[in-house]
Amino acid sequence: MSQPDTEEILEVCGKVGEILLNAGAETSRIETTVEYIGHAAGARVACYATITAVFVSLENESRTRLIKSSLGGFNLQKVDELNQLSREFVAHKITFSDLEREVARIERQVINFPWWARILGAGWVSVAPMLLFKATNGDLAWAFFVGIFGYLGAEFVGRRTTTPYFKEATGAFVVAILAELLMNIGWGDSAGNIIISALMPLVPGVAITNAIREILSRQIISGIVRTVDAVFVAGAIGSGVVIAIVLTQVLGGR
Amino acid sequence: MRLLVEFIISILSSIGFGVITNIPKRALLPAGITGGVSWCAYWLISLQDHSLVLPNFTATVIIGLLGNYFAIRHRVPVNTIYIPSLVSLVPGGIAYLGARSFTMGKAASAAQQIYNVILIAMALAVGFVVAEVIFKAIRPFLIRLIAKLPEVQTKSQK
Repeated sequence: MSQPDTEEILEVCGKVGEILLNAGAETSRIETTVEYIGHAAGARVACYATITAVFVSLENESRTRLIKSSLGGFNLQKVDELNQLSREFVAHKITFSDLEREVARIERQVINFPWWARILGAGWVSVAPMLLFKATNGDLAWAFFVGIFGYLGAEFVGRRTTTPYFKEATGAFVVAILAELLMNIGWGDSAGNIIISALMPLVPGVAITNAIREILSRQIISGIVRTVDAVFVAGAIGSGVVIAIVLTQVLGGR
Repeated sequence: MRLLVEFIISILSSIGFGVITNIPKRALLPAGITGGVSWCAYWLISLQDHSLVLPNFTATVIIGLLGNYFAIRHRVPVNTIYIPSLVSLVPGGIAYLGARSFTMGKAASAAQQIYNVILIAMALAVGFVVAEVIFKAIRPFLIRLIAKLPEVQTKSQK
């Protein structure tokens, strides 16, 4: 096996960092994975990752790769595949050219669950255990369907626009409008309960908790960026709901 | 009986969120079980203790321990189990309520809700830290135990 030159190592390490960052991995995981791969390939690689950029640098040369990214969603399956790949490479089960090819494959591949699974998933997330036996069973059943439409609305808009926070606001708007509609028809018992339950796939709860975890592990910059982002997502969701409620009140003539 | 309903609904919630965030297929069931068990712990404790901190804290200690165990057993990144199983505990709903009160100018309830969000998030995060400290201590023992257990699928089919 020919020894890969430093140029190629830097290229692959940069790509690994980029995929991990876009898939929503923690910054400490990005740094250790990239450094492991670099060391196993025989180059002294240093990696520094923040939430919006990854720097990969060779320690005894002046070359550096900088990868920029914007805050994205989660695709934990890619994180997992790269994790396995790096573990195999570090254990010398695969060669460097195998690694290069596999990384390129993971980058191109759109790994996703089929649509029906994601729709069902969104529905089940929308039946929040928090509200079990507090909201009526009918409301929870409605939340299942309303949550699906909210999720679909958010995904639909998220694919067509890059305006930040618009996706979450649209999802919240769809949820609130449907909930108010159900109330006005007289099928739902409490619009508030349906809305909270059906918003579960959209709200930034995980982001908030991850942010505090990052701060506790001294990744202060990433933690603060995530916190601020979560606050704005919550704001977008809140305004989406408020707009929908005001709209139904105006149209309903109340 | 009620515990069973809570358990099933929280498992479905966790698996559903796992599907949305694209965790590997072989992590779906472990994540669901972790979410279900931790939610039951949350529910049982919140019957006795009406504060916010203790139930959330206990539930995340359980997520931390079970999550790390499954992560070693099924060879997945531990985050792929943490994120789905947290979905029923995280203060997302209250964060939304806080933002709504804030937009509608209800300062007092907004302050209360945002305070609760921070409190819950802190309790969850500290729970993880404690779980990881405990886990580091029992890790060698666990790895020996897992070596004795029957093989499980550690790779997704392509």
